[in-house]
Order: sequence, then C-alpha cells, then structure tokens
Amino acid sequence: MEIINLEGTEDTPKILLDKGNGIFEISGRSLPEDSAEFYQPILDWISAYGEDPNPKTLFTFKLEYFNTASSKLILDVLSSLEDIDGVSIDWYFHEDDEDMEEAGEEFSELVEIPFEFKTY
Amino acid sequence: MSEEILKALTQLFGIITKQDGGATEKERNFVIGFFQQELDQDSIKEYLELYDKLVGWGEEPEEEEEDGKAKKKKLTSVRDSVRTLAICKKINKTLTQKQKVVVLIKLLEMVSADKNFTPQRMEIIDTVSNVFNIVKDEFKLIESFVIKQESDELDKFDDILIVNDETSQEDNLHVHADIKGEILFLNVRSVDMYFVKYTGHEEINLNGFIMKTDSVYLFSHGSTIKTPKGAALYYSELIRKFLSDGEQVNLSFNAEDIVLQFPNGELGLRNVNVFEGPGELVGIMGASGAGKTTLLNVLAGIQAPTEGSIKINGLDLHQDNEQLQGVIGYVSQDDLLIEELTVYQNLYYNAKLCFAKMTEEEIHKRVMDTLENLGLEARKDLRVGGVLDKTISGGQRKRLNIALELIREPAVMFVDEPTSGLSSRDSENVIDLLKELTLKGKLIFVVIHQPSSDIYKMFDKMIIMDTGGFQIFYGHPIEAVTYFKKTTNQVDADRGVCPTCGNVNPEQIFNIIEAKVVDEYGQLTNKRKINPSQWRDFYHESFDHKRVTDEEEAPPSTLSIPNKLKQTVIFTIRDTLSKLSNKQYLLINLLEAPFLALLLAFIIKYKSAPTGNEYLFRFNDNLPAFLLMSIIVALFMGLTVSAEEIIRDRKILKRESFLDLSWNSYLLSKITILFTLSAIQTLTYVIIGVLVLEIKDATLSMWAILFTTSCFANVLGLNVSSAFKSAVTVYILIPLLLIPQMILSGLLFSFDKLNDFISTKGKVPVVADLMTSRWAYEALAVDMFKNNSYQEYFYDIESVEKTADFKSSFLTKKIREKLRVIENNLESNDPKALEEIEYSTTIIYNALEKEPFKGSLEHTDLKELLNPETINQEKINRISTYVDQLRDHYINEFNLAVKKKETLQFHLENDSSYQFNLNDAKDKYFNESLSDLVRNLTVEDRVIEFKGQLIQQIDPVFNKPEVPDNPLNYRTHFFAPEKYFAGTYIDTFYFNIIVIWFMSLILYITLYFELFGKLIRVFGNIKFGKKES
Repeated sequence: MEIINLEGTEDTPKILLDKGNGIFEISGRSLPEDSAEFYQPILDWISAYGEDPNPKTLFTFKLEYFNTASSKLILDVLSSLEDIDGVSIDWYFHEDDEDMEEAGEEFSELVEIPFEFKTY
Repeated sequence: MSEEILKALTQLFGIITKQDGGATEKERNFVIGFFQQELDQDSIKEYLELYDKLVGWGEEPEEEEEDGKAKKKKLTSVRDSVRTLAICKKINKTLTQKQKVVVLIKLLEMVSADKNFTPQRMEIIDTVSNVFNIVKDEFKLIESFVIKQESDELDKFDDILIVNDETSQEDNLHVHADIKGEILFLNVRSVDMYFVKYTGHEEINLNGFIMKTDSVYLFSHGSTIKTPKGAALYYSELIRKFLSDGEQVNLSFNAEDIVLQFPNGELGLRNVNVFEGPGELVGIMGASGAGKTTLLNVLAGIQAPTEGSIKINGLDLHQDNEQLQGVIGYVSQDDLLIEELTVYQNLYYNAKLCFAKMTEEEIHKRVMDTLENLGLEARKDLRVGGVLDKTISGGQRKRLNIALELIREPAVMFVDEPTSGLSSRDSENVIDLLKELTLKGKLIFVVIHQPSSDIYKMFDKMIIMDTGGFQIFYGHPIEAVTYFKKTTNQVDADRGVCPTCGNVNPEQIFNIIEAKVVDEYGQLTNKRKINPSQWRDFYHESFDHKRVTDEEEAPPSTLSIPNKLKQTVIFTIRDTLSKLSNKQYLLINLLEAPFLALLLAFIIKYKSAPTGNEYLFRFNDNLPAFLLMSIIVALFMGLTVSAEEIIRDRKILKRESFLDLSWNSYLLSKITILFTLSAIQTLTYVIIGVLVLEIKDATLSMWAILFTTSCFANVLGLNVSSAFKSAVTVYILIPLLLIPQMILSGLLFSFDKLNDFISTKGKVPVVADLMTSRWAYEALAVDMFKNNSYQEYFYDIESVEKTADFKSSFLTKKIREKLRVIENNLESNDPKALEEIEYSTTIIYNALEKEPFKGSLEHTDLKELLNPETINQEKINRISTYVDQLRDHYINEFNLAVKKKETLQFHLENDSSYQFNLNDAKDKYFNESLSDLVRNLTVEDRVIEFKGQLIQQIDPVFNKPEVPDNPLNYRTHFFAPEKYFAGTYIDTFYFNIIVIWFMSLILYITLYFELFGKLIRVFGNIKFGKKES
C-alpha cells in the first residue's frame, strides 16, 4: 500500500500512514478550511487498509488542537477503524492540556476501541 | 421530550452560546422561553441552572490567561467539540429526523436571538447538522430561513414561500394585500415539514396563537393562519402552492341535485350537490343513518341515483362508463384482501389485472413503490392473515386496502370509514396518506365517523348530512363549526378552533345539529330544536355552491385490462398461490380422498372366499355398495371443495368490479383449479380403493367416471356458492343436494319400485335422469361388468345366449299365456271379456312386432292378424304355430351359443399364448354380486306387462335397447349395455360420461348468468312483498 505522509502546517495536522512499517499517526493542529475534503483521502486510505490490515494496528493521535468540524472527521476516522480487528489507539496529550485529555476520553466512549492515554 | 434529550439540548445550547464571548441576556431569554414551552415551572429552574453552569452565567468573564494562549482562547475548546459530537450521537439514537430538524431550527433561532453569528458558533451548528445527517443544501436553506430577515435574500430558494401584501390574487392565497410584513413559509422536503415565521408586527394568528415576530413555528397538518382582518390561510392551500409545480390534473366532479329513492319509497338522499375539482380531500360526516355511505356509493356509481346526474369531466358516470373506466377507486369499509396471500402478492396480482401493458419489472417496481409509499415495504412478505390469525396490524390492513386501489392511480377515490377500528395513530397515518394523495391532484371522498381534531382539520371540505339524507353543510371544516355556532347564536361563534390548544371539536357540530328541546321539567325531549329540513334551508340561505367548470378531456386513467385468457391465467395463479399457502385447506383436501378410500375399502374387505379363509374379489358382496359410496364421495368432495369458493371471494369481486374484469375468466380460473383438485382427489381415491379391494382392469374407467362426477359437483357447488350469501347456508344445502342423489342412484331403491307418480316400468324415471349419481353408477357398474379380462371374451356370446334363453323360455311362455286368455274369452260377449281380448292382442302384437324372427308369419299383416274384433280360433292356431317356431329357433340359438362359449373357453384355456384359467380369471376379474345386480337375478317376474308391452326384467345388461321412434329419445332401462341416441348406438360408459359433462355445461351456463341467484332473489322479493301488504 502506498504511504500517506503529509507535513503538518499551522492549520493542518501532520499525517503519516505507513502500513509496511506499521506507523499510523496524526499529530499537530487540525483546523483545515474544509475538513471533510481534507480528511477524505485519509478515510479512503483506512477503508482500503481495512480490506487487508496488519494483525496489530497501533494508531497514534498526538494533537495539539482541533476545531469542531475536525472533531467530526476524527470521529469518522475512529469509526472506520472500529471495524478493523486488532486496532488500538494511543492518545497523547500535553501534561497541562486537560481539555485534550477529556476530549480523548469522550472519544473513547463514542467508539469501541481500546484507548491508551499518554502524556508528552 | 425525554429528560435525557432535554439535558442534551441544554448542553448544546450551553456549548454554543459559550463560544465567543458567552451568552447574552437575549440568548438566555430564548433558552428560558424554550424551557417554558417544554417544562413545568420547577424543572425550568433545574435546567436553567445547568445551562447557566455551562456558559458560566453570572460569573465575571474570565480574564485571558496569561501564558500566550490568548490567540487560542478564541477557538472552541476540543473538549466542547467532542462533547457536542457525543450529544449529537445521543440525539441521533432517539430522535426522528423530523425532530432533529426542529432541534436544528431551535439552535439557529437561539443564535439569531442576538444576531451573534460568529464562525465558531456557526461551525458548531454546522457540525451538528452534519452529524444529524441533514443534507448540506437543506441546512443552508434552513439556516437562511431562520437567520435572514430580508425576503430578498430568501427569494432564490424554491422551498421558501413569501406571502406579503404584494402577493397577487391569482395565487389563490386568501391573505394577500392585507398584512404588514411578510409571512414566510419553509418547506423542508426531506422530512416533509413546513415551518412558518412572520416578520411584521401585526396580530397574526397561527392556530389561535399570536405569532411572535421572527419566531419560527412548525406549520403542521390542518394549521390555519388568520390575519387581523379575518382572512384565513389554510394548510392545504399552502401545501398545494408548494406542490403546484407538480403535475396538473384536469378533473371536474359535478354531482347535481342527487336524489335517491329506496325501493320502499323512502328518500335516501335529497337534492345533494357536490362540486369538486382536483386535489381535494372531502369528508362526509353525519349521524348514523343520515346517508353517508349511501351518498358515497351514489357518488362512486355503485348505486344509480333516482334523479340528478353525476359528471366527471362532463362524462356521465352511468352512461359513459367506458370512458370513465379506471377513473374511480373505491375502498370499502370491509377488508378486501386475499388472506392467504402475502402483502406483496395481494398487490402484485391486483396490479397484473390492472396493467396489461406493463412488463414484469415495471409491475414489480410499481408494487414496491406503492408499498414504500404506504410504509408497508417491511411487511411485504407477511401473509395478510384472517381476522383470527392476524399477522399485520389493522392500520396496515387498511393501508393495504387503500394501496390496492391506489396502485392504479384512480383520479377520484371513495373511501368508506377508513379509520373505524383503528388506533388514533393508525387513523392519522391513513388520513395523512389520503391527504398526501390529494396533494398530488387526486380527488378523494371519505366517509368519516367521529374524527379526532387533527384528522378533522386535515380535510379540505366537509359535507355534513342529516337524518333523512339532507345535506346541511358543505364547505371548509373549520367554517362548519363557526357556521353552526353562528346559526344557533352561540357565544364565541367566530372561534372554530380552541384558542389555547388549537383543537377543533367535531362533536360540537353534532351537539348543535341534534340539540333537543327541553320540556318544562327540564328533561330533554325527543324533539329536535332544528329539524333536518330546517337545517337544509338555513344552509341554502347561507351558501351557494357553483358547478365546477367541466373539463374537456377525459380524466386520466392508467388502467389497461389484460385480455380474457390472460385474466384467467392471472386469476388461476393467484388463487392457486392462495390455496397453496393455506396448509390446512391443502392438507385436508389432499388427504381426504385417500383416507376415505382406505377407510371404506378396509372396512368392506373380508374373507369372502366360500372356504372362508381368504379374500376373493369375485365373492366380495360389498362391491356394488362400494361403487355407490365412491360416487357419493366424489360428489361430496366436489361440492365441499367448491361450495365456498365464490362466497369467499365476494368482497374481492366487489372491489374488482370497478375494473370491469371478465366474469367468465374468473369462473374459468375457478374451474381450472377445482377440476385439477378433483382430478387429484379422485385419482388418489381410485388408486387406494382399487389396490385394497383388488379391483382389476377398472382403474382408468373408474377414475374417469369419478372425476367426471366430481367436476359436475364442482360446477354445482359454484352455482350454489354464487347464489347464496353465506357459507353456512351453503353447507346446510349440501345434504339437500346429496341425498336425492343417493336415493335416485338406482342401487338403494330399484327404479321399478318407486312411487307410480314418477316411475315408468322398464325405463329409468325422468327424475332419476336428473341425477348424476344414476348416470355415474350405471356407467361404472356396466363398464366394470362388461370390460374386464374375463367378461370381455364372453360378453357377446353370453349376450346372444341370454337373449335366446329369455325369448325361448319366458317370452314365448308369456305369449302363450295371452293366447290362452284370448281363447277362453272368444265365445263370451261380456264387455270385460272383450276388454281382456283387446289387451291380450295388444300385448302379443307389440311383442311380435318387435321380434326380428318372423318364421311362418313372414309377410303377414300383424295388425290384421291380431285385430281384437276379428280374432278367431284359426288365427290363434296360426300364432301358436309361430310361437312354437319362435321357441325352437331360440332354443337352437341358445344351444349354439352355449356350444360356442364352451369352445371359446376350451380354446382360451388350452392355447398357451393366452394363459387363461377360467376359474382364476373369474376369481380375479368377475364379481358375483355385481353380476347379480346388473343381471337383475333377484327379480321375481322375469318379464312383466306394462302398458301393453312385455318388459324384460332379467338380464338388463345383456338387453340392447330397441331403436326408439324418436332419435333423440335416449330413455331406456337401467344397466342397458348401450344407449341409442341420434341414430347410433353408444356404449353406456361413454354415453353416460357425455351426459354428465353435458349437465356440467348446463350448470356452467346457469353459473355464468347467475340464474340461481336471480331466481332466489325473485323468490325473496315475492315473500317480502307479501309481508308488507
């Protein structure tokens, strides 16, 4: 599978999806102009990946900030991961960022995937 | 709204208002206003606290945090974002799409309360609508409708309708030109909802509430908006406005001065007028007995009016029915479903009968579309079921009934009490459905009884009938309330709708109409304050309805009926499927025959051999009775299986009568199915019977006869079924039809020993000729006797032998006896003696005349010879000589035949190619008891005198009937081996089968013309007349 590797900007997150090396990561800030459009390739990639996934998939979220529209798309990403066996989430948040911690907790209640919370 | 959802909403309100500077007073007030609508006083406090906590109401606005996060502060916190998502997900699980649209509108309204449309707030709302699965375009539409105020900005939306003082009169909306500001309507198509808001400051009334400026209200079914000047805008008009871009239907329905007189002279309808165009939902209300259903039936053309005319697009309903075919749909109060079929099949076969030109796929699609429209698609494979084993609910049944009519899209529909027996939710769904149809241009008349307020308001027009067929109101339903109130000078007459709840109470109308006079003791009397004819006069004073202009074109109709053969095929398939799915019916009908055969054969099989230790077919004395029972069983099965057929279908036939389907096709389909069933039944019966009783060589012929008999019974049963109204009557009638068949079958009672009134000696009585059993029995017995591997060799020889035997011994003896009588009376002049001579000469004459052997009397004029006047000793002697010759001739013939038989027997037994053993063959193929029966061996007098004829009683089966004078005279003795008809001898077996089929044909004709039913009605009417006079 081809690798998605997007460099992060002020408004968009850094995204690395690499099946071969087993790296799946979204990090940085997410407030793109049109979040649906921005996340569509990611969702497509995941659904293709879902056809033939690795036995274990450790998906890392290391976000500083995301806006409301992005939150919907992140939920969509999580929902599409939900159907894949052996997925778990590492949710990173800054020590001081209670908001991000709670957001992660809220997400973990909305989908049935094991979450692990880590600080950085 | 559940507590959970309300909490969720409060949180949403909170999260949104907290963005960008927090809640303002106005926004908070809006939330309070919302709580006030949904909650009681105590709970408002609780929820308001929750809201306040969320937005931090009353707290000092937080100072910007120091550590450089000032820029980020403006952004929505990620926690709020995710919480919004969580709340929306929760809402998604509980609320319907319609409710979600309402929630969305509330959110938008709240934001617009302070016009504080910051990007963060709007982004949250946008995400909410996204999670709610509301389409982008629709969200934009809703958003604009709620937050924009200038109509110029809204004009571009097709789904927003603006009513203001510039709205032209042509638009048909009453509220043109007399309001300040604008009334805006929004149509959210995906959920089929309408919302309204008003931008001006006048007192505009929505369902009795004053509309607040810029507030968005739900514009629900039956809503009305009233302007300060009293003009009203009704829901239905508005909806039509929205849908007007759709198809235009050209329809005019004018029923003018309809009078209906019942056969007993009473008037059922008095000068009723109904003038309607397309797209109206017209209710017919009235006290029971006021003639609601009668009016509906007359308007639908089921009953012809005594006076007046009903014209659809200028075509007379009763004269131009060809052009109006398929235009009318009628949904009766009863269930007209085929209970054994599934929902889909019911509709599918109905569609097949309506659309000959559609392909299979198109029909399937149409059926599925209709099912979907009516919300029945999930139930499509469920059996409809009867009253006792319901599988679908009452509301679904009703909807399916409507669907059956709907599928062919009649332009005018008549629905009789669609809500009776339904829950209020189901009732509303059904009326909703009808309402929707009118929006597509159909004209629908509905007889409605005690409608709820919501249902009542959905009607566009209401016809109110009063006892005796008086039309006392015809107009807008809400107007009805005010009209009756006004007419009786009631307080508050202007208000048709309850000012607080917006409800209408249709009962109120009837309370006013039927108000009773109170006597001096304050007791209600039976006298009405205003009687029906007075009400009618009031109505004529207050209203004046004009005819609708007749449309030129014939109304649209999609109906195209398949040809008769196709109809037969469709009917047959439909009926077969319904029978196959009725397991009980199928099981009983298929097992009945073999079971009866087994029972019967088992019981009558015994160790019949003379030695008493084995069963021999030859000595089974029960065979003749078994044959009769077989015929009775065939008749019985044939009757029971068919007797209910048409009665059960009556209702369905009534519905399909609007399609003008072929009665013949219907009957033929019934007959195809019944005959097939009969064939199977009789075949299994025969096979079991034949196997158990070891009857050889008769399987096919026995089956042919029983099948023929059963088919006859089928047609007879259908006749009965079409003539009577209830299945019980029919089943009571079955013995009445069967018992004569048993009595006159020829076995139980000899035809020669019946009441003189009916019996003819030597011939089968005419009454018995009407009995199938007699024909069937004769055919069966004669065929079984004649055509088996034993008798077939000997029948012809034995026939000669027995005839010769009879003639040589019994006939000659009888003639001699008569000669002696003449001789003895020759000298006497006693008139009695002369009579004796005359009688005896006639008998001798008749006997000799028929005799082919002439001997010494060749060339003698028998008439002259046997003239009673001139008879003398010499003549007697001449006859006597002849009789001797006759006797010798037949003795000779007899001996010859016996010899021949012996030779044949010898030949058969000794020729190795035959493998024939006389005794074995007899044991296997020949039955003594049957032989005794058809040879009539038990008779006392082998020959009897009857009406100057000598009649052979013995050996009828060997006695070939003489050629009758009239070639069409088929009558002869019972068990005759052949029948003479139309110039030729026909084997009894075939002749009798033909006779039975002929009888079946006659019955089919009577069935086709329903003669029995008509006859019964004639009798019924006669009795009725007598009673009255």
